[in-house]
Amino acid sequence: MEKPAMKLIDLKKTIGKNEIIKGLNFEIKSGEVFGFIGPNGAGKTTTIRMMVGLIKMSGGDVQILGKSIKNDYKEAIKEVGAIVENPEMYPFMTGMQNLIHFARMLPNVSKERIQEVISLVGLEKAIKEKVGKYSLGMRQRLGIAQALLHNPSVLILDEPTNGLDPAGIGEIRYYIRRLAEEQNVAVIISSHLLSEIELMCDRIGIIKNGELITIQNVHDAADTEQDSHQIQMEVTPAEKAMELLSTEYEIEAVLKSDLISFQSQREEIPNIIQTFVRNDISIYQVEVSRATLEEKFFDLIGENVIE
Amino acid sequence: MSNLVNLIRNEINKIYIQKSTWIMYILLAVIIAGYGMLTSFFGDVREDYSQDSWRAELQEENEELTKEMEEEELLEDFNMGLIEQNNYYLENDIQPAGYDAWQFVMEMNIMLSIVSLLTIIIAAGIVANEFRWGTIKLLLIRPISRSKILLSKYLAVLLFALITLLFVVVFSWVIGAVFFGVQGLNPQIVMDKVGGLEYVSVIHEIITNYGYKLVNLVMMATFAFMISSIFRNSALAIGTAVFLMMAGNSIVSFFSEYAWAKYILFANTDLSQYANDAPWVDGMTLPFSIMVLLVYFVVFLAASWGIFTKRDIAGQ
Repeated sequence: MEKPAMKLIDLKKTIGKNEIIKGLNFEIKSGEVFGFIGPNGAGKTTTIRMMVGLIKMSGGDVQILGKSIKNDYKEAIKEVGAIVENPEMYPFMTGMQNLIHFARMLPNVSKERIQEVISLVGLEKAIKEKVGKYSLGMRQRLGIAQALLHNPSVLILDEPTNGLDPAGIGEIRYYIRRLAEEQNVAVIISSHLLSEIELMCDRIGIIKNGELITIQNVHDAADTEQDSHQIQMEVTPAEKAMELLSTEYEIEAVLKSDLISFQSQREEIPNIIQTFVRNDISIYQVEVSRATLEEKFFDLIGENVIE
Repeated sequence: MSNLVNLIRNEINKIYIQKSTWIMYILLAVIIAGYGMLTSFFGDVREDYSQDSWRAELQEENEELTKEMEEEELLEDFNMGLIEQNNYYLENDIQPAGYDAWQFVMEMNIMLSIVSLLTIIIAAGIVANEFRWGTIKLLLIRPISRSKILLSKYLAVLLFALITLLFVVVFSWVIGAVFFGVQGLNPQIVMDKVGGLEYVSVIHEIITNYGYKLVNLVMMATFAFMISSIFRNSALAIGTAVFLMMAGNSIVSFFSEYAWAKYILFANTDLSQYANDAPWVDGMTLPFSIMVLLVYFVVFLAASWGIFTKRDIAGQ
């Protein structure tokens, strides 16, 4: 059986008496983009820093292709490329000098490979310029280039969309999808904003107060859903419509600036409309919105309190 | 091994790619050139003595020195020394070598305090700056142990000191050659040593003078390196190291009446105390000082290593 690209086994971190990370267990497969979501302070960065050995684990382990970060660090970390928090590079060196610097710290990175990663992130033009002059988006791309130098099996990007404009986020999404699909890299992306990375992930794990609350499959999350949908209708008279909903369907609707809004199943919508028509209620518009992952995310997270 | 060489290359690269380093070198060059120029134009140095009449020239010098001494009492000690040196040449029938590039290099050993200062600045920044830039995270997620990374940084500091020292020696020699010429490959001069006047090789003097000062340089650079890796703050490292370098001697004399004063680092950094006069504190010997220095050295490095290799690299 193929080993998971990355496996967290009861990973824990305690600082003083505080248990910041309370035993995380999950796996990430090769070629998968895994979103690691949680509000600020939930323990995302701490977890990521433990994954790459910047912070010692208090318990458990992280395995990269079966090799332990705790006991076999050099072998395990060889398979990992990462940006931890901001994509910081030496500002007084050019993009190229930065890449050469980090290439020297890795086994067998050829000049051709450096060129390859530069063109992969599309930095050919700016590579001879000092990093101090780069925009955040360019630094983010250089960070990704740096993380890819040694053809890692696992790519870890901590808040890669932080501070980027929508175009920048789009670019990052494009590189990441390509890496996962074409090179079979397992990508882990953390973010506190689900909407920013929802589109590039295959699965999403939600962390709150140092615990993994749920893992969701992004693509079926919306479709297989039999849950209620949010429905908004512009009708007159609104009061009568609300009364009908209440008596016939036992649905509590609320009136918000000429729109009545309520929760219901998709199949119920035609029936409701027919009922309204029979009762001489004029319908001007109907809007159905699916409960997005974002809303579920908020439901799950509630309020994040660090205890 | 090639691994370590690459790491050191990286560190040296990062040092020399920064403009501030080049400004340091320009500063050194300006001071040396300026010193050479001043000595050449205003200094009273004799560049050569003629083959036939050097005895008469020395006599003449002595007369001038005596006259000067009579007019200005302050110069008495200094001029007496020079007269004695001249007499030594006359008595032993040695033709004196004129002031030249070698002697200029020897005098420029004073530049070693500036080299120490620059090395402290580099040592103070080499770890702390990685934290400031945030690049420490990218350094420590490589298939390389933290020890090796710290070692490469420490060796890069020593290499920087060596390169800077060579620069001072070579550049001083060139400036000396331009202003005063070169008198042979290994000129000898008479100098006031412990056992009275002696006829010594200038190059030998250069090596011992510079060598003694290197001890202090290495100790203070190691100290700054330790502060830098423990507190991740280069300003603190520069501040404390420079303060101690300046105040070291005062600290020793302040406590010199106590028996434990001999264990103070600065009582031991000047090993020339054993070659010249009596040691600073009674009961000190050369092996004793070397032992004390080694203990400090090991403690500084152990502290740097202990903290750097264990610490959690958390957010700023």
